[in-house]
Amino acid sequence: MRGLRRFFRRLTSWVTARRDERRLRAEIEEHLALQTAENIRAGMSPAEARRQAALKFGAVEAMKERYREQRGVPAVERLIQDTRHALRRLRMAPAFTIATVLILALGIGATTSIFTLVHAVMLKSLPVAKPGELYRLGKQSNCCYYGQYSFDKEFSLVSYDLYKYLRDNTKGFAELAAFQASLQTAPAAFGVRRPGSSEAARSYGGEFVSGNYFSMFGIGGFAGRMLTPSDDQPSAQPVAVMSYRLWQEAYGSDPSVIGGIFTLNEKPFTVVGITPPGFFGDTLLRSPPDFFLPLNSESYVEVDADLDKYNVHWLDLIGRIQAGVDPAGIEAQMRVELKQWLFQHWSEMSATDRARFPQQTLYLTPGGAGITAMREQYGRWLQILMTIAGIVLLIVCANVANLMLIRGLERRRQTSLSMALGAPVSRVLREPLIESVALSLFGGAIGLAIAFAGTRLILQFAFRSVTGVAGVPIAPSPSMPVLLFAFATSLLTGIAFGSAPAWIATRVDPIEALRGANRSIIRAGSFPRKALVALQAALSLALLSAAGLLTTALQRLEHQDFGFEQDGRIVANFNARLAGYRTDQLPTLYRRIHDAIANIPAVSSAALCLYAPPLSGSGSLVYVDGRPAPGTGDDNSSRWDRVTPEYFAIVGTPIVKGRGITEEDTADSQKITVINEAFARRFFAKEDPIGKRFRPLPGASIVFEIVGVARNDRYFTHGLNRPTGPMFFLPEAQADYTRPNIGALFLHSIVIQTRPGASVPAAAIGQAMTSVDPNLPVTSMRTLREQIAGEFTQQRLIARLTSFFGILSLVLASIGLYGVTAYNAGRRVGEIGVRIALGAARGDVLRLVLRGAFGLILIGLLIGLPLTFAAVRLLDSQLYGMSPYNPAVTLGAVLALALAALAASFIPAVRASRISPLDALRTE
Amino acid sequence: MKEKTDVLQGTLALMVLKTLDVLGPLHGYGIARRIEQISGDLLAVNQGTLYPVLLKLEQEGSIASDWGVSDNHRKARFYRLTRSGRKQLETETQSWEQTAAIIGRFFDVKAEDLK
Repeated sequence: MRGLRRFFRRLTSWVTARRDERRLRAEIEEHLALQTAENIRAGMSPAEARRQAALKFGAVEAMKERYREQRGVPAVERLIQDTRHALRRLRMAPAFTIATVLILALGIGATTSIFTLVHAVMLKSLPVAKPGELYRLGKQSNCCYYGQYSFDKEFSLVSYDLYKYLRDNTKGFAELAAFQASLQTAPAAFGVRRPGSSEAARSYGGEFVSGNYFSMFGIGGFAGRMLTPSDDQPSAQPVAVMSYRLWQEAYGSDPSVIGGIFTLNEKPFTVVGITPPGFFGDTLLRSPPDFFLPLNSESYVEVDADLDKYNVHWLDLIGRIQAGVDPAGIEAQMRVELKQWLFQHWSEMSATDRARFPQQTLYLTPGGAGITAMREQYGRWLQILMTIAGIVLLIVCANVANLMLIRGLERRRQTSLSMALGAPVSRVLREPLIESVALSLFGGAIGLAIAFAGTRLILQFAFRSVTGVAGVPIAPSPSMPVLLFAFATSLLTGIAFGSAPAWIATRVDPIEALRGANRSIIRAGSFPRKALVALQAALSLALLSAAGLLTTALQRLEHQDFGFEQDGRIVANFNARLAGYRTDQLPTLYRRIHDAIANIPAVSSAALCLYAPPLSGSGSLVYVDGRPAPGTGDDNSSRWDRVTPEYFAIVGTPIVKGRGITEEDTADSQKITVINEAFARRFFAKEDPIGKRFRPLPGASIVFEIVGVARNDRYFTHGLNRPTGPMFFLPEAQADYTRPNIGALFLHSIVIQTRPGASVPAAAIGQAMTSVDPNLPVTSMRTLREQIAGEFTQQRLIARLTSFFGILSLVLASIGLYGVTAYNAGRRVGEIGVRIALGAARGDVLRLVLRGAFGLILIGLLIGLPLTFAAVRLLDSQLYGMSPYNPAVTLGAVLALALAALAASFIPAVRASRISPLDALRTE
Repeated sequence: MKEKTDVLQGTLALMVLKTLDVLGPLHGYGIARRIEQISGDLLAVNQGTLYPVLLKLEQEGSIASDWGVSDNHRKARFYRLTRSGRKQLETETQSWEQTAAIIGRFFDVKAEDLK
């Protein structure tokens, strides 16, 4: 009790410290005065009386110190005192402070900006209630449709019927919601218009979700209401929920939007509510959906609805489990339900499905982060970037540690004096530590600003936003975890680069230091500095090599022979689906678009296609007539595209055998196809493919006769590192508009060849499209060259960032080397003076200094080369077939390092060689 | 060494309390003089050590202090016993006397008494 009271008194007296100090001084003065007076009365002279009084009182300072210890909170006070002292010292060395803080800010900023991305993509949960209770179906995210009763590995997508079966029978879920599986980067597009508005339909992303989707996530509306199970009935009024972003950006937060009618693909919907601002749906996408529609409206808005097809799996599942229920138990139950459901459909199953029935299973995984497609897509390169940023931070630490060491050496006399006067080691150790932590915290604060700018820049490069369409929902502004990360990084950095100098500072022999450090012959304590420079050189070599490899790999990707004619070719995209076209209207529409574009004066020819190069189109299976069915291990898949006759001529692909697609190939003539060379190699290794026939399904009525082989131009079939796979091209005129294979009937792209020397203004193409149908806008347009380069955006970003980090590390290492060389040369002024006086030539001195610097770089190389070879193995997957051991790149990195070292050490070397012996000897 | 000062501090605190109890409010010098007179040399070496003890007692609430005017018309800090200080003095006096009695009995014991 008494102790507690005393503690509070200490706390308050800490605040009143200055007044207490005055009071103590007054009391001591009073005490001494009374004692002196008494001594005088006893017959002493005044001077003697005062002296005796002081003697009797004892050591005033020691007593004051003990008094102070009784008062206040000494540990905190000392910390504040030391911090104040450290700040004062930093203020007195502005050049050092600014340089250090900036270097630190760069390192911390780089790490933090990458961490912002890592956090948003890899670590963050969905902005929903209690994400820990959510579980999703599937171990991997699967795109997008699957049309069989059996899966290769797991049932990660379900049909609407299977969803209802699982929802109604699994009791462990409080809510189990289903929603449309999204494409890799964006949700399905809808053409959206407000009735009565004269504007053309705009394309926005939308997603079909079950009625309990929002209640499962625990999301309430920002305005209006969210969807409910009663909206998700076959007979319900069609309603939709709009995203906050779209409401704000496109409709200026107009309250009349709520309850208003909008047409989606020309079908009216009532918007009943607005989602809360942070909500971006179930999946982190480059472009999140702007509309959420009930699953049952799918058959209302889509011509070929998937809703009632039992074997079309197009829905992802996320459920909120009931408190206390074991997810493993739910998983086991759902596996049984899956088998039961499959058994109900036994009669509809194919032979393959039946054979694979026993292996069919499903998995539940934590779903708090939603569907993590982006995590799978970007995880690898975020990991690489994080490693690189970490290395940069290490270099920054080494560099700043070096600056601190040199600073510590300059303070050696002072440190020795303090130690000689009895300062405790802990106190001497604290000083540089506090100084470095203060520096790194300043650096961290500025680093945060750099991180903000950096993240914005990276986001812009990586996820280039299209105006009007939702951008990636990653905020560059630092969130709490990011702030904590930056703070922890700064603190750790401060301790890392501050502890070594602090430790060295205590190992000074006071007498040696006081005698004059300048005269000592043994350059004690230079090892750590040299080691740090060598370490920096080694790390920058690794970074430079990585940057070199990534840049070379990118150049090889970009400058490979695509085969396509890229000059004077334009690709324009449109989406007739959004304007509400019916499939039977399409042939006329395509004809009109073709003619309108081809009639532009600067255009020499145009062709329509499903996918423009270098995209390889949809997948199909191939069953060659007259051959046995392929075994289970055989790959009989191919990609295919649908094109109009002039396509091959425009993209510059020659027909190497047979003929191309002509105007004579019509709906009434024999169904033909043109294959590429990879197709010919895969399916007709030793035969002549011309005249052979194949079907997309065994026993299908549709059969394609091969009439020609096109050169194997570079389409990206399976990622950037695999060669072009088999492809076949079908004539647009032979498309079967009676079959409800909708997606493949709506062509997306127009390839345009311009007349030599002429340029086609974008407005002319836009006008041509408007003349066909004002509701049919060009959604995007770029040159074929840009279209191909667009495939490498991600690679370019990594290569550029790594190069930036590599150059940054080289600059830092050079600064470090310059510092050490200049400092060493400075300390050897006397020695060099003597050498020159004894007849050494300028060249000798120059060599002497340079030798020292290059010795360090050489050691750095010796450590760096194995390190580099170990590090670049990480990059293997990002090099697209190039070997990570590339002698030219390594040599280039070594040369860059050597040049930077020469530049950094040359100035101090020249300065040393100009030393006048007389001046040098006089400085001692 | 440290232990010895701790004992000294403890006893010093008790002496301060007793002095203030007997003589009423006093300034630091007065207390020091008084203790010196009674205890002989114990405080002769370092009168200054009294002040940290005074601070500790004040923080604990056993004594309180105010500015006043000393005999030679100087401003001085006067310390006085508080109610809780008086209680503390009583309990500590008791326990001290108990301890002293026990220790005294131990010293009185002779070898033959234990046989």
